[in-house]
Amino acid sequence: MQSESARMTTAAEARYRIDYPNSKPRAIKVVALDPPSEAVVKRLAQRPWQQATFFTAPKLEGVPKSGDGPSMKAWLSDLAGRTKDLIDEVATADLVVMVSSAGTNAEAAAVIAEACNVRKVMTTALIIGSESKSDEELSKSLAALRPYASMLVIAGNDDYIEEMLVALRA
Amino acid sequence: MLRKEQNDLLTQSGPGTPMGQLFRSYWLPVLMASELAENECPPVRVKILSERLLAFRDTEGRYGLVDEFCAHRGVSLWFGRNEEHGLRCPYHGWKYDVTGQCIDVPSEPVESGFCKKIKLKSYPLIKRGPVLWTYMGPADKQPPLPEWEFATVPAEQSFISKRLQECNWLQAMEGGIDSSHVSFLHRGDLGTDPLFKGAKGNQYNLSDTRPHFEVVEQPGGLYIGARRNAENGNYYWRITPWVMPTFTMIPPRADHPIHGHFWIPIDDENCWAWTYDFHPVRALTEREVQAMKDGAGVHCKYVPGTFRPLANKDNDYLMDRAAQKAGKTYSGVAGFASQDASLQESMGPVCDRTKENLVSTDNGIIMARHRLMRAAKALVEKGVKPPGVDPEHQRVRSVSIVLPPDQAFKDGAREALIGRPGVAQTTV
Repeated sequence: MQSESARMTTAAEARYRIDYPNSKPRAIKVVALDPPSEAVVKRLAQRPWQQATFFTAPKLEGVPKSGDGPSMKAWLSDLAGRTKDLIDEVATADLVVMVSSAGTNAEAAAVIAEACNVRKVMTTALIIGSESKSDEELSKSLAALRPYASMLVIAGNDDYIEEMLVALRA
Repeated sequence: MLRKEQNDLLTQSGPGTPMGQLFRSYWLPVLMASELAENECPPVRVKILSERLLAFRDTEGRYGLVDEFCAHRGVSLWFGRNEEHGLRCPYHGWKYDVTGQCIDVPSEPVESGFCKKIKLKSYPLIKRGPVLWTYMGPADKQPPLPEWEFATVPAEQSFISKRLQECNWLQAMEGGIDSSHVSFLHRGDLGTDPLFKGAKGNQYNLSDTRPHFEVVEQPGGLYIGARRNAENGNYYWRITPWVMPTFTMIPPRADHPIHGHFWIPIDDENCWAWTYDFHPVRALTEREVQAMKDGAGVHCKYVPGTFRPLANKDNDYLMDRAAQKAGKTYSGVAGFASQDASLQESMGPVCDRTKENLVSTDNGIIMARHRLMRAAKALVEKGVKPPGVDPEHQRVRSVSIVLPPDQAFKDGAREALIGRPGVAQTTV
């Protein structure tokens, strides 16, 4: 008599796998950390998504250091330029994806990551445009983002972001 | 998650498919050299990329890989007589050389030249290291010979094995670039397996089960770095190179030999899991070789006389619930290779990726799929040579290393990630 594993791993048996939605759409917040990334994120936002929303991080000037509590209120803008409360956005996220162009300063990541840490939300950082940047610039970006991302990806071309979001059912 | 058409594209490697065309751009491992050990030895059936072939070694030691079936009446030439510079079909005596050229049709006058009109499809078959390799693509695109380090070090520094894995190649390969499963599935063996134990890196592996990852594209594929906390705020990195389409090298542990895999499609529902072990600067010890032959490390024990793992789906992988409960093994299945195979085969012959729910730590897998699809498209539409064909892309090393927190592994391990003859591996 065939073993259970032998019987159950056939193509015929695969037909009896239950067909149902085994997950709910995840809320994924995609944040562009700098102007070059913003252009990519805006293009990405034109696509239909289940629960992905797209933001930019405003410039840092005049913003108190993290830990000063209320300062984080104005920390995101949606693509129409409306200010969004960072804590509120993170609170409703399953994953925050930060997009940075290679070589640019990623200070905003620190504040976003702090909010994510408070809410125990996973962070992924993508460094785009790496093909046109020097090794030194890439290393700088990696060092800047490493403390704030549980997954850090250097993508050779921008279309990877879309591929990744689709793969994550965004 | 992949759409069905993407899953089909990646998992189908037969003739005429985009992924099949991609695989046919490379030298692929076909047989262990020991399977054709001497001139005029028995031929060996080969099925690769959904093509039925036959490998043999003629009177002069030349290797041939030809269509398995006689052009006359379709008899399997596995029954053939390997004699006097060719393989003769035992049915009516038709004979073929290693290029598949028919060189004798006894029923026809020699003067008629009939046999010159008969030729079996054939592919080059060459020996490199302990492996016989074939290239199944267009002759004018044949790449330089493979330069994988395990195949170019002196023979006494290298060991190879292969095992049948009864599922599609992609779900097997994806296990090889998924470092995060080691802390769970294989945790029971890290401290006891003779080819793993004693490494300080094992302690980092076991004490930090939530590694952080960095995925970096490299010319031939990817570097996937998994970092775990080490002492004094430093990070313990395990860096796995993946070279397209299907080569991985597992980061080393202490001075143990380095090991890794190729997953080569037999057809769309089976693959060969090739496993190599090598040491860059010393001969493998007798004890190490014996352990490998005994199925330790990432090798396996076989059903006698076959390359099928002893623990296989027909015996429920020798599942031991008591060992699972006692924590001796995490899944109840013993041995790294069988642990991987049991779970990967349980997904079914071809994993339905439309139903999966990947998470951000699966970015290595997502990126590998992305690179494969992109390369297949570029090859099919524009004839672009895929990454991994160039021997330079094959001179990679896996690395385990402790680095300061602000140092990128691509910088801190830059030299260590390149395979150099006579230079020891970088390992913890």
